[in-house]
Amino acid sequence: MSSDVRFTDFKSDKQPTWCPGCGDFGTMNGMMKALAETGNDPDNTFVVAGIGCSGKIGTYMHSYALHGVHGRALPVGTGVKMARPDLEVMVAGGDGDGYSIGAGHFVHAVRRNVDMSYVVMDNRIYGLTKGQASPTSRSDFETSTTPEGPKQPPVNPLALALASGASFIAQSFSSDALRHQEIIQEAIEHDGFGFVNVFSPCVTFNDVDTYDYFRDNLVDLQEEDHDPNDYEAAKKVILDSEKEYQGVMYQNEDSVPYHEQHGVTEDMSEIPDGAPDDAMDLVREFY
Amino acid sequence: MAEDLNWAIGGEAGDGIDSTGKIFAQALSRAGRHVFTSKDFASRIRGGYTAYKIRTSVDRVQSVVDRLDILVALTQRTIDENLDELHEGSAIIYDGERSWEAEIPDEMTAVDVPLKSLAEDAGGAIMRNVVALGAACKITGFDVEYLDEALEKRFGGKGSKIVENNKEAARLGQEYVEEHYDLEHLGYNVDVTDNDYVLLNGNEAIGMGAIAAGCRFYAGYPITPATSIMEYLTGRIEDYGGHVVQAEDELSAINMALGAARSGARSMTATSGAGIDLMTETFGLVATSETPLVITDVQRSGPSTGMPTKQEQGDLNMALYGGHGEVPRFMITPTSIDECFWKTIEAFNLAEKYQTPVFLVSDLAMSVTEQTFEPETFDMDAVEIDRGKLVDEDEVDEWLDSQGRFRAHAVTEDGVSPRAIPGTTDGAHMSTGLEHDELGRRTEEEDERVQQVDKRYRKVETAQNDEDWDYREFGDEDADNLVISWGSNEGALVEALEYLEEDGIDVRVISVPYIFPRPDLTEEIEAADDTIVVECNATGQFADVIEHDVLTRVKRINKYTGVRFKADELAAQITERLSEEVPA
Ligand SMILES: Cc1ncc(C[n+]2csc(CCOP(=O)(O)OP(=O)(O)O)c2C)c(N)n1
Ligand code: SF4
Repeated sequence: MSSDVRFTDFKSDKQPTWCPGCGDFGTMNGMMKALAETGNDPDNTFVVAGIGCSGKIGTYMHSYALHGVHGRALPVGTGVKMARPDLEVMVAGGDGDGYSIGAGHFVHAVRRNVDMSYVVMDNRIYGLTKGQASPTSRSDFETSTTPEGPKQPPVNPLALALASGASFIAQSFSSDALRHQEIIQEAIEHDGFGFVNVFSPCVTFNDVDTYDYFRDNLVDLQEEDHDPNDYEAAKKVILDSEKEYQGVMYQNEDSVPYHEQHGVTEDMSEIPDGAPDDAMDLVREFY
Repeated sequence: MAEDLNWAIGGEAGDGIDSTGKIFAQALSRAGRHVFTSKDFASRIRGGYTAYKIRTSVDRVQSVVDRLDILVALTQRTIDENLDELHEGSAIIYDGERSWEAEIPDEMTAVDVPLKSLAEDAGGAIMRNVVALGAACKITGFDVEYLDEALEKRFGGKGSKIVENNKEAARLGQEYVEEHYDLEHLGYNVDVTDNDYVLLNGNEAIGMGAIAAGCRFYAGYPITPATSIMEYLTGRIEDYGGHVVQAEDELSAINMALGAARSGARSMTATSGAGIDLMTETFGLVATSETPLVITDVQRSGPSTGMPTKQEQGDLNMALYGGHGEVPRFMITPTSIDECFWKTIEAFNLAEKYQTPVFLVSDLAMSVTEQTFEPETFDMDAVEIDRGKLVDEDEVDEWLDSQGRFRAHAVTEDGVSPRAIPGTTDGAHMSTGLEHDELGRRTEEEDERVQQVDKRYRKVETAQNDEDWDYREFGDEDADNLVISWGSNEGALVEALEYLEEDGIDVRVISVPYIFPRPDLTEEIEAADDTIVVECNATGQFADVIEHDVLTRVKRINKYTGVRFKADELAAQITERLSEEVPA
């Protein structure tokens, strides 16, 4: 890790094809800055991305990266971190990717508490497939596949994380650049699974959950005297259906990440030229 | 033919059938006798018929036969289920004190032993199966001392009292038979030798092969009959710096394994049936991101949930063609338990050399069957590891473009690109399941698309030319009759040769461990008058592949009852099929 890494070192030379004004630009900038700020460089960083407009993020960043299949980014990140505890692993994707097709993996990644950060660009819509309802869409939000709204309550990802035993739960807004970056940094620095739901507006398909909406409605927990180590307080803000918050809702200071609990601390990429020295013991077991 | 003894214990699931069978098999193996076991089990934990069968001989045995000499029957159903395998000279050990009245055909020797009472005398009813083992030793003339050793191995961890009680139980069983029956006339031969064999099943061999090959990461989701690979690795792989994760499902398992492989670990996942279906979407990602990954499929009877505890070789098409789009891959099929070990090692080498998924396809019969081998069969000194084009810091430079970007998917003559694992300075790159250019960046340019597709298939072509895709051969090389098979049928075929020879029928057997790439069998088939393809499925998936290769019709023997081929049965079917016309 070199100290002279700048956030632009995490930028690839590929021009993003996101719509001008898309919230994902801000989300990505914050991620790159947070990575640089926490002392990482592209050669020790692994970014795993899902599928969706949001999932394209891996393409626009520069690091070791894998852009996988829809909904499966978390398992990939888990495998990377287990094999290489020395790497900084960041997983990114959309609300459809993470809370719909990948919902099962989300629950289990949370409870495994693997030491990585997970950034979900929540635009409350399916962007890449051109505007269908997502699991976080409002129940009356009209889309091409839900002309009268989904008529089912949206998923509360923060509550889902809390119920699954999360050790770090946060929310940010991609256009509040500094706060967003700070929150991502905290997720990276957290010892365990750092989950951040990022409001990352889709300017093309969602005219309800807009920049203005979040600017006007988002309450910053920093200004609310919120103690993220207080589980009951966290529960309260997470389950508050009246308000939307940004900031770190919950952090378990005693969090012991997966690799420490399970003793998975070795670099698995190094193997000997032949079978291990004592491999005949494996055979003798069958006498 | 080997003078073999066929022994079985059967009862209800939960009766301890498996562990009792295993103890006896280990005793025989320690006595220097070859052993081949098979299991009949139903897909439930308690209740339902289950049996553990042992065929043993001083010569190598590698198949089951339609014959049962000694049967320990804990239920009437055990006798009924095996009636067609029992014969005049068979002895049936049962407990007449139990509530059921055994109906045993007159011509057989009924050996009524109060298993439960004797076990209680020895210290607990739980040992009634061990009493039966003692009785079996007496009937066959097998020295009970060998049983003692196996009991020590099985119960040693539970303290000397338990071991002693079990030994006593075995003695009581032996003595009871000695006092109440005059069974010398049964005259079974259980000669011993001074060999010390190892006894293991196909899944254990795969797990052992994986560790020998340097596999460090395994992710899986429990499914019969693949689970025992995960169980084997759990608790052992850690000793070598590795780790096993029980994932939330197979989608997760294969993606975790992919992530670990991507970051440089030798990595594997294993599943069966429905699990392979769930993994299918990721096959293409593994192939296009050019990640070395071993995907093991221990086939069981499908489709859908099918018959989860029964044998079938129905996934050939899935492993060979499964997945959307066109996915370059290798498909390797061990043909015996020892090959489960060696082919696993080969699978890891091929995966890294060619940076592509390797399907290691085994089957239920092989996974639950134990067989004895000389320990040297698994000679660890002979294990070679080839990591392919893994580049380090110094070699990365050669693969940077004019702007210093690593060409992770460089178009090369042999189709294989350099591989930089995370942490390699200047090697940072991204890979994607989207079509991409040499740098891994998404592209829809016609030229780049064609280049990448060609490149991925070119490595298969390179492998086809550079590697040895040989087959295993048995019988008479010059015979006019050719039998081809894949997977676990090999053992039964090899033994079937002996029956056929007795009848004056010469057969050449070719057993194929590689489905893709595979050996070209055109010459062999043309040289034969008759070719029969033997496999455990209904439609003849391998026969289809062969017909496609050689453009001639072949005869087929298909078994899809859920039960593996038996040597004598196979010999009879081959004889019958040889006399038939080839289909037009
Ligand atoms: C298995 C599978 N099903 C469906 C798709 C099509 N698909 C691509 S992106 C997407 C939704 C993306 O929504 P979200 O995760 O919210 O990301 P966004 O585009 O809004 O950033 C879908 C359904 C796919 N690629 N794979
Ligand atoms: S469609 Fe929406 S989410 Fe996708 S790039 Fe455009 S603004 Fe962003």
